[in-house]
Amino acid sequence: MGLDRRAFLGLVAGGAVGTMFTPIPWKLLDDVSIWTQNWSWIPRVPKGQVDFVATTSKLCPAGEGLKIMRVAGNPISAAGNPDHPLSRGGVSALARSEVYMLYSPARVKSPLKKSGKGFEPITWEQALIEMADKLGAAKGAVACVSGDGTGTVNEVLSAFVGKLGSAGCFMMPSEATTAAKGVKLMGGAGQAGYDFENADTVLVLGADIFETWGTSTRNRKAFGASRPVGEKPKSTYVYVGPTKNNTASVCDQWIPASAADLGVVALGIAWHLLKAGATSNAPGFDTFKAVVNGGFGPEDVKRATGIAPEVLAGLAKTLAAAKAPLVVTGSPFGQGLGAAPFIAGMALNILLGRINKPGGVYALPELATVVPGALTRAAMLDGDLPAFLKGVAEGKTPAPKALLVYDANPAYGLPEAATMAKALEKIPYKVSFASFMDETAALCDLILPNSLTLERYDDLATPYGSGFCLYSLAVPYQKPVHDTRTAGDVLLTLARKMSVELKFDNFLQVLKEKVATLAKASGGFVAKDVMPWQVAAGKPAPALAGGDLWKALSAGYAWTMVGQVQSNLGFAPEVLAKAVKAGKAPEKTAVLAPYAQLRTGTPTTGIPCQDLTTVPDTELLKETTLVRLNSATAKALGLKKGATVTLSGAGATCEAQVHLFESVMTGVVSAPLGFGHTAFDIYSKGKGANYLSLMAVVEEPGTGLSTWAAAEVKIA
Amino acid sequence: MEEKRSNSAGGVGGMVLFGLIGFVGALVVGWVIFPKLLYSEKTQPIRFSHTVHAQLGIDCEQCHHLGPDGRFAGLPTTESCAECHGEETGDNSPNGKEIDKFVKDYAKTGAQVPWLVYQYQPDNVFFSHAAHKGFECSKCHPDVAKADTPPTYYQNRISGYSKDTMKMWECERCHASMGTSNACYVCHK
Repeated sequence: MGLDRRAFLGLVAGGAVGTMFTPIPWKLLDDVSIWTQNWSWIPRVPKGQVDFVATTSKLCPAGEGLKIMRVAGNPISAAGNPDHPLSRGGVSALARSEVYMLYSPARVKSPLKKSGKGFEPITWEQALIEMADKLGAAKGAVACVSGDGTGTVNEVLSAFVGKLGSAGCFMMPSEATTAAKGVKLMGGAGQAGYDFENADTVLVLGADIFETWGTSTRNRKAFGASRPVGEKPKSTYVYVGPTKNNTASVCDQWIPASAADLGVVALGIAWHLLKAGATSNAPGFDTFKAVVNGGFGPEDVKRATGIAPEVLAGLAKTLAAAKAPLVVTGSPFGQGLGAAPFIAGMALNILLGRINKPGGVYALPELATVVPGALTRAAMLDGDLPAFLKGVAEGKTPAPKALLVYDANPAYGLPEAATMAKALEKIPYKVSFASFMDETAALCDLILPNSLTLERYDDLATPYGSGFCLYSLAVPYQKPVHDTRTAGDVLLTLARKMSVELKFDNFLQVLKEKVATLAKASGGFVAKDVMPWQVAAGKPAPALAGGDLWKALSAGYAWTMVGQVQSNLGFAPEVLAKAVKAGKAPEKTAVLAPYAQLRTGTPTTGIPCQDLTTVPDTELLKETTLVRLNSATAKALGLKKGATVTLSGAGATCEAQVHLFESVMTGVVSAPLGFGHTAFDIYSKGKGANYLSLMAVVEEPGTGLSTWAAAEVKIA
Repeated sequence: MEEKRSNSAGGVGGMVLFGLIGFVGALVVGWVIFPKLLYSEKTQPIRFSHTVHAQLGIDCEQCHHLGPDGRFAGLPTTESCAECHGEETGDNSPNGKEIDKFVKDYAKTGAQVPWLVYQYQPDNVFFSHAAHKGFECSKCHPDVAKADTPPTYYQNRISGYSKDTMKMWECERCHASMGTSNACYVCHK
């Protein structure tokens, strides 16, 4: 019986039937289906021991403490640190990006030297030799700009530049620069600190306190704590500003007012308070009273701002009746506000008796400097960068021979971009300590890449807006991803090479000295079981175990201190008389009211790649940004929804699409900031327009400060 | 004509016989040979003896503890192994040689031992050990407490997963029997 045709068919049929009773077809089908899901390019979740370590965000201006999740020692994600007073478990979109920004395509991966129109990589040793040579030749005319409002690295930078012969040390303009100028003009001292946690009624004049103003994450937590879900709110928040922004949308009341009129609104409220008998012993009260009564009556304010008299009267009554009212003044987009509106808002706090009181405004002392020859924060904030660069551009101020830029992007983040770029062009040698290839770095002769937060030791001292003194550490948890170094270390190495004595060999030594100084300061404590706002409200401050302070700070806790400097804050009425005018509202074409959001980063970070996905189509549609107008403004300007328009101002033009949005006051064009980058990576470059370039810088009467809070633009 | 019938009868018998041979052959291939072909055999980089460690009174939890979020049952790091095995022993016994191999290749270099994990789940599965800690470990994992040599690791040549990786139907069956939800989001976040 051979294997004939039939036998063969039988064998095959039997085999086929038999196979159906084996795992072969079923297992193969299953495995192949799994195989199709496991392409080599799909990222794998790392396996290993999961742990959490703490640090402090340096990318986010809100200065949150962070909990970093690690797997097998590799940082994976960043979340808010519940033990940190500026976070309490909360985190901003920007601080959350601390881990994945390590791998951003925009990172500068090694020292770069300008070569033709591009850059060529060089070694750190080559970079330091060249820099020592160039800075040696520029002695006596070296300037610096810092965008880090809270770091001790500013001490190293300012001391180094000071010893080389400073042509000016500047901070990038922010709410802090305005407030510092205002406090100085009021005859006060210290940094204004706002005790949101103990306030029961908060009047917000312009400041986007839950997004870009000061310690925004902490502000949100304080707001949330006073308004528990399902219970009667324990606080009242009122927002006055040109748009119903992220802050206004959760407040109890939104009162539309242009950013240019915030001072008028504040003095209009002061009129009602004075009428109700408010008085003060602070310097300048009588003149202040005369100024307010002379030009800020209800009808004056209505004529200038359109706000009905009964609205301000009601607001004044609410503030006067509150146990712990607080007035916060700031720019709706975090920069460019004049000192006068700040002074007007602070005058309300004085009238309400809220200076150095729980739930009020504290004059916070500055932490002692440790680097010999360093400028104090107040001294650095005193500089006016836009005015300086404008002077350089116009030839009125001699251009420095060299400029050091640390964590700042003036070529993008300042108003009148064209003027600022012209000024930067006039400076022959520029060096940027940038982590990312931003617009300013792209203009520089040398880029020295700064390690990111998770790769370096750094610190954060009392960010503007904090209601208490605070010091917190950033601790490196991984080796630099690229050939980057900590800028503080680079500056100290360079100083040694140039025989400039700065006392310290490396930046870690500077930080240890800073912490040792704090350990000796009286009244300071580590916020663990007791938080600073509880101490402000009367709870005894715990003792500080000095020897453990570095350890506690490295573990993510913050050193805090509740207290105030002696400050005889006055009303500065002569400034208000010159700078705040309740004139007739001018017939403007449209007033530009920019708004900023942390999800689109800062000028130095660009748009964090993952955050780009959270930008809605009503803000960025394909490659075009949208500006918001209400239907009344659109009708007056003859614009329709979706129309493509050109905005022009300050000698620049920007494209935009029209988005009709009724939460913008009439006569105002609300425009998003953070777009229109010409540098960085595919996630930032070429996305929309930079509307800050349309803002003209003007000198504020009475203060001399550069302002650009509200600018008229033409739309066609 | 007769011959033709005879051939036809023999042909049917032959067909049935060969059909049976094919059937049985397929069963042998499918149940015996196919699994051997489908899986590659791997051994652990270090022949770790659970028996020796258990005899020393070391609790399972000392090395296999839950992570803070309950997701990872924890393999000891090289550093924690090196707390006891930091120096070479010079012992020529099989166990001594294995210890010295660990010290030389991992403890001294700081590299992590690439342990083969018998039951890693795919990345798209969120599995919390904390939620399952009422069960005996051996309900799901091979009981290695008495194993002097770690079991062979079988890796599926097609899917790349371990043979012991629990399949979804197994998770679902247990959930169903326990009255626990089988909604997608319970395991797939």
